[in-house]
Amino acid sequence: MMDAFQAGFFDEARELLAELELALLEMDDKRGDPEIIGRAFRALHTIKGSGAMFGFEQIAGFTHHLESAFDRVRNGQLDVSSSLTNLALAASDQIKAMLEEAAGRGTADPARSDEILRSVSELMGPSDAPAQRASSAPAPAGGEGGPVREWRIHFRPSPDVLVNGTNPLLLLRELREFGDLKVTVDTSAIPPLQDIAPERCYLAWDMTLATEAPRDAIRDVFIFVEDDSELIIEAFGEAVGEAAGDRPEAKPSAAARAPSRSAPAKSAGAGQAAASIRVAAGKLDQLVNLVGELVTVQARLSEAAARSNDGTILDIAEAVERLTSELRENSMSIRMLPLRATFERFRRLVHDLGVELGKDVELTVEGAETELDKTVIDQLNDPLVHLIRNSMDHGIETPEARRAAGKHPTARIHLSALHSGANVLIRVSDDGRGLDAEKVRARALEQGLIDVSSRLSEPEVYSLIFEPGFSTAREVTDVSGRGVGMDVVRRNVEALHGSIELASRPGEGLTVTLRLPLTLAIIDGLLVRVGDAHFVLPLANSLECVELTGEDIQAAHGNRIANVRGELIPYIRLSEYFQMNTARPDREQIMVVETEHGLYGFVVDQVLGDHQTVIKNLGRLCRNVQVVSGATILGNGTVALILDPHRLVQNVLQTASETKRPGVSALRGAGQRSTADQHLHSKGTQDLCYVK
Amino acid sequence: MPKTILTVDDSASVRQMVRFTLTEAGYNVIEASDGQDALAKLTAPVNLVITDLNMPCLDGIGLIRCLRANPACKGVPIIMLTTESQEAKKQEGRAAGATGWIVKPFTAQQLVAVVKKVIG
Repeated sequence: MMDAFQAGFFDEARELLAELELALLEMDDKRGDPEIIGRAFRALHTIKGSGAMFGFEQIAGFTHHLESAFDRVRNGQLDVSSSLTNLALAASDQIKAMLEEAAGRGTADPARSDEILRSVSELMGPSDAPAQRASSAPAPAGGEGGPVREWRIHFRPSPDVLVNGTNPLLLLRELREFGDLKVTVDTSAIPPLQDIAPERCYLAWDMTLATEAPRDAIRDVFIFVEDDSELIIEAFGEAVGEAAGDRPEAKPSAAARAPSRSAPAKSAGAGQAAASIRVAAGKLDQLVNLVGELVTVQARLSEAAARSNDGTILDIAEAVERLTSELRENSMSIRMLPLRATFERFRRLVHDLGVELGKDVELTVEGAETELDKTVIDQLNDPLVHLIRNSMDHGIETPEARRAAGKHPTARIHLSALHSGANVLIRVSDDGRGLDAEKVRARALEQGLIDVSSRLSEPEVYSLIFEPGFSTAREVTDVSGRGVGMDVVRRNVEALHGSIELASRPGEGLTVTLRLPLTLAIIDGLLVRVGDAHFVLPLANSLECVELTGEDIQAAHGNRIANVRGELIPYIRLSEYFQMNTARPDREQIMVVETEHGLYGFVVDQVLGDHQTVIKNLGRLCRNVQVVSGATILGNGTVALILDPHRLVQNVLQTASETKRPGVSALRGAGQRSTADQHLHSKGTQDLCYVK
Repeated sequence: MPKTILTVDDSASVRQMVRFTLTEAGYNVIEASDGQDALAKLTAPVNLVITDLNMPCLDGIGLIRCLRANPACKGVPIIMLTTESQEAKKQEGRAAGATGWIVKPFTAQQLVAVVKKVIG
């Protein structure tokens, strides 16, 4: 059982250390804010208290000294200084190392602990070096051995004893456990009836107790009340028996009896209906996988039920569908986590890098409450670290250079997250020097990434920095510039079915936007049919569905634009895009979808309805296919491709601009991509070999 | 009818330990993460409150004062969890109306002994 408590303590201590770190870094910014100092103190206090509780004396002892220092800060006896902050950060790392050591991973260097503690006591001044903590705790009752003696006890509690929650009768009962007790009540202090206050205690007790327990054990019974009570304990008479060891029926003391009560530890489960529980992430992943399978099977059931035309079965299938959908939403929401922890971790990174590079950088965070699937968050850390490092190293200038450029010497990195349909946009912006398009171009030429005849638009030039091996850093620093980094960012983000955009304002800064799907597992989709193929569009971006008739097409004079209640919406006909040779039905339908390029329509033969879509990855063969984000299995066992409307529109726009401006083959261009897309479709959507 | 104990602590691991120990000893346990939370969870009377002193939002002393000021909670026993370095806090807690205290770190046996002492 202790192990489970210890595991809980490790988890908690890690969270507290993160909280401590955060408070320390904020403290550095806002010196003297009592709220922040209080948070740092509390984190230390809890680590110390819980550490000692669960048998980590070393951690508790070490933390104690630091806590004392922060207690002084809290009481205004010690000033916040950067040496204190840095020392506390070092101590926080040391506690972390000690925790890891206690958990059986790695070792903590005791010499480092001593060094830190020495610095702490230096900082606190010579007058009051941290005292060695006393580790004794008062045992509330008990005692053994010694001859049985008779004691006379007089006890008159304070009149307020009842209001303060003490029941004097329980104290008498406790005394009775020590041995033979005779009690006489002293009622002399009870006032006339009209003066009695019902909450006050007017009684006193005179007792004789025969016990082998020592005086201190008897006194301990009254430990909580003795300061406010009249209490006399005196021994009288001679010892009435032999030593306790000779008395076979010697009564066990309260303290000796207590453990036998709590010893039978059956299972932790009974006592843990807490507000939240910790579950291994693997179990959640398994749950989501199972729900995914269930959704697929449910689709088959619905399909079979619809075919059978049997009312009872249809009823059951509907109920199952409803429940599956709820179950899916529930289990997906369990995996959603706010980005806060990920974002806050970067404060330390920025602080440390700032010290290392000699740059003064402030990190601001926005939208940290935005929730994302845990698997996405897990894989987001590395790309963000690279982006921040890149900003710190290349983007942000030294304080002198900033001053020379007329900027505030303290640079800013802003991290933000916000929802956009079924996606989350995560931005990393800095107010550094931005990207120099000319330099990037020259460097790319030098490295043979493009040739001299390439004519690239600005965004295309910027995207070159994501090419493997690209680096503009003049010299290789410790932080970045080894030519690994940005291509890793793109690879990671694309593995998450996300995309990256760059916006640079030369001299003013760079903003990198990561666009990521909310989840990688199951989404709400809209099932559509084109010819005999099925596609799924994410429901979150779909706005409405209108009909497109032959007259509408004529009215547009050959332009692919539909008039939806007076608003002109450009559309993409999927059968044309995928070059499917299907007959155009009389009435087509347009799905109006919100993309980052505005509203776009997707023309399909028929909209079949909403569909719980379990996302299956396309295999390696299709990794360059951009407009399809995955595939799903329908109730009848066939495969439907999941389209990425944003990419589709982008692709069409890009192809359109490239037909006017050929010769950009060096870029991973759209021409290449649409070939892959067509190839994919010519193989047929039902070709299962693409689906993992 | 098992007695109900409210344990108030911002440390989840301490709450877990208190809850486990007291549940094993036959008590019914409610958890709260700070003073505010404790007040919100006190919808029905409890037999005992065990509270930490250092907590965010509303600390232990504040919680004890609130409880003693509330006629419904006047006589409820309150045990505070202190550390050996908090003598002043302990006195403050007593003045506010705490019934007793346990010094951290404590063992399961000590906890049960103190609870038994106060509510039987």
